[in-house]
Amino acid sequence: MLKLDRLTKSFKNRNAVNAISLDIPEGQMVGIIGRSGAGKSTLLRMLNRLAEPTGGSIIIDGRDITALKGRDLLAWRATCAMVFQQFNLVGRLDVITNVMTGRLYHHNFLASMLQLFTDEDRARAIRALDRLGMAHTALQQADTLSGGQMQRVAIARALVQEPRFLLADEPIASLDPLNAKIVMDALRTINQDDGITVICNLHTLDTARAYCDRIIGLADGNLVFDGAPEALTEAKAREIYGAESAEAFSEGLTSTTLDFPIPAAAMAAAQPEYAMGLAR
Amino acid sequence: MTPASTLSQNDIVWARAQHPQVFNVKGKRIVFALIWAVIIAYLIGSLWYFDIGRFASASDRAWRLISAMFVWRDIETWQFGSIYTAIAQTLAMAFLGTLLGSIAALFIGFLAARTTMPIPFVRQIVRRILDVFRGVDQLVWGLVFVRAVGLGPLAGVLAIFISDMGTLSKLYSEALENIDRKQVEGVRATGAGPIKVMRYGYLPQVLPVFISQSLYFFESSTRSATILGLVGAGGVGMIIIERFRANYFDQVTFVVLNVLVCVYAIDWISKKIRERYIGEQAH
Amino acid sequence: MSYTDIAGAGAPQQPNPTDQFEAHRKQMRREKLAMNLLFGALFIVTLAISIHVSRFYPDRLAAGIPRIFEYFGTIMPHLEWQVLFEGRNEAGRATPGSLAFWFADLELYLRLIIETIFMALTATMLGAAAAFLLCFPAAKNLAPNSAIFWISRRFMELCRGVPEILYALILVFAVGIGPIAGVIAIAIHTAGALGKLFAEVNENASLRPVEGIKSVGGNWFEQMRYGVVPQVLPNFTSYTLLRFEINVRASSIVGFVGAGGIGSELNRVISLYSDDRVVAVLILIVLTVTLIDLLSEQLRFYFIGKENLK
Repeated sequence: MLKLDRLTKSFKNRNAVNAISLDIPEGQMVGIIGRSGAGKSTLLRMLNRLAEPTGGSIIIDGRDITALKGRDLLAWRATCAMVFQQFNLVGRLDVITNVMTGRLYHHNFLASMLQLFTDEDRARAIRALDRLGMAHTALQQADTLSGGQMQRVAIARALVQEPRFLLADEPIASLDPLNAKIVMDALRTINQDDGITVICNLHTLDTARAYCDRIIGLADGNLVFDGAPEALTEAKAREIYGAESAEAFSEGLTSTTLDFPIPAAAMAAAQPEYAMGLAR
Repeated sequence: MTPASTLSQNDIVWARAQHPQVFNVKGKRIVFALIWAVIIAYLIGSLWYFDIGRFASASDRAWRLISAMFVWRDIETWQFGSIYTAIAQTLAMAFLGTLLGSIAALFIGFLAARTTMPIPFVRQIVRRILDVFRGVDQLVWGLVFVRAVGLGPLAGVLAIFISDMGTLSKLYSEALENIDRKQVEGVRATGAGPIKVMRYGYLPQVLPVFISQSLYFFESSTRSATILGLVGAGGVGMIIIERFRANYFDQVTFVVLNVLVCVYAIDWISKKIRERYIGEQAH
Repeated sequence: MSYTDIAGAGAPQQPNPTDQFEAHRKQMRREKLAMNLLFGALFIVTLAISIHVSRFYPDRLAAGIPRIFEYFGTIMPHLEWQVLFEGRNEAGRATPGSLAFWFADLELYLRLIIETIFMALTATMLGAAAAFLLCFPAAKNLAPNSAIFWISRRFMELCRGVPEILYALILVFAVGIGPIAGVIAIAIHTAGALGKLFAEVNENASLRPVEGIKSVGGNWFEQMRYGVVPQVLPNFTSYTLLRFEINVRASSIVGFVGAGGIGSELNRVISLYSDDRVVAVLILIVLTVTLIDLLSEQLRFYFIGKENLK
């Protein structure tokens, strides 16, 4: 059980994440939805401490994650894998090495500095890549791949970490609909077959509905919805996505394939990657 | 818990069978190890050949030197006047050398650029002479001019002049080759003669670049002018070597610190001027 | 018909635009003239002061210039075509006017030039290694904390602020005459100069891979090793080769203060002889430097070219 207790992240004059308390049982697939700037990303990044919380705590197995330091913190990050919107692969390394970096936590200093990976690491990486249908690209340089392929490599990297949790920060926001489906299917399979808890930031409502056991809605850093997808009414969704979407709000329009009803231009300005994603 | 956490020998065998090339890293590792072995062997060998061991045996002497550099004694006897005069002289040398070098380069640049010098033979001769000016280090020019005109700043100015002229002419001629031809055509179309074409067609386009580069060279000449004195070519370097030879190491430290501050100040001012008046184009 | 007629009677009375333009133009011209005068005056004053402090007076220059040509006359070789390629005779003496006479000490020169190149190579390797270690803490976006950033930045400034020949002077005093003082002096300067360039490359590197490595539980060293190094290595190589070219020049002059290499011989022949040997050594140095530049340029094209292919 992952327990968030009044978890807060405040910047100078506002709270990006405002005292959020949650219980997430292991094995769940959780979708976090909300407008851009609602605090989804900050929340997720606090879970594996890429962002430092300013208040509250994250408890797992009776340990407070927010207090971890040094080697314990690295161990937690190794257990709590992350997939990013922009994949965050090392473009100049080949695919297999990128995946094997998922094992870095288990290496000693010299071996990791000299890039000495074992046959076991290689086998794990190949198996993970194979599950995602990417094993044939193993020796290609990562920046020669397409966006969808890179995201699958990034998921393979997360898999070889053997994580208990997999955090996905807008994993499909930069992908075309077909690749978005492949990636979301992969995340769902990992969740169901491996029993890994998947917590996924999603921009679009229907993706969340289609894949997640549970949906969490954020608006301006506050928790405004927490429940099964069926419980999410149109009125509630409207509240999550804010006033701008009210007039033209329609479920179909928030799909992965289509742009967001009104604030698309505003969003593109706030988040250039989003605009790039739309342009593809 | 997860199927991925157990990895048997069979899994490795399976992965190797599927993608043998991924597991074939021996060759790569040998090459990698060999390259590093050669580099390290070279480093150890060359350091041994150059007698690195002297650092171990000289530590006592080195320690006395370092302590003498940082414990400042008899500060009232340091003759600050001569130190700051020498620093001013260094700046003056850099200024005059760069100024003369720029003026000379203004003419030579036109002779060395393809766009303004139609005769390939002349161009090549000019360029080869420039290569010699640049190829010989400024300090060597300093030494040569000290032999020719005697100790003092004149040799320094000449050394800066020669090496700046060599490099600036090359940069100027490159700037001339990269200009917009249309503006030159425009001036030529008004019936202007070759001199007027140079004056109105070329100069307005390249002058900002020239000035920017000359300022940059003033900056770098101040740096190099500080050491010209080590061979007797005037400026603060002469103070440094004089007091070093007299074992006034604390004074040497003081002078060097002053020079550093001065050089940073010049860098900063010149950067500001270039940003303010020339904009972001070519340095 | 005037402008105000078109605007209509209701429009507020405007000053004639032509007059306005003229006035504006005049003012701009005045300002420009004032600026030019100011700069001109400043320039003249600086020039006058410079001439005064460096005693760069016309009479000194007039006296000096003939001596320059005189001196260059004495260091030029006197070659005679008939005996140009004549070797040494039985007694081992070379004929005056032959190339063998001019380059009588060629063997020594070549040995020293090879020493110079090796000095530069060793110094570049040591300096680049130090720069490599320093450049990660000295990059604003990568430094683990601001204290380490500040210390490594200041340390690099100290290393590159002082010219290598000054370090050589001090080291020669500390460890005696010989190439090791030059090697270490150049290495120190290289560490500072390359470290700054490397740090700038690091600051332009994408942080996404770094974050990726951070998220898998990699420590700071692993973040640098996997997230940054693969991105920046081609640029580092190119800068290091460029620095090697500069260091060959540097190692040919540190000999002036006794720190080894061809510089010591050049200093000796200039100070003691002032004859054609000066030009002989100079020619060898210029040839070496040019050759190294060409080789290194080819190598750099190879590395940068490879980068562009991606």
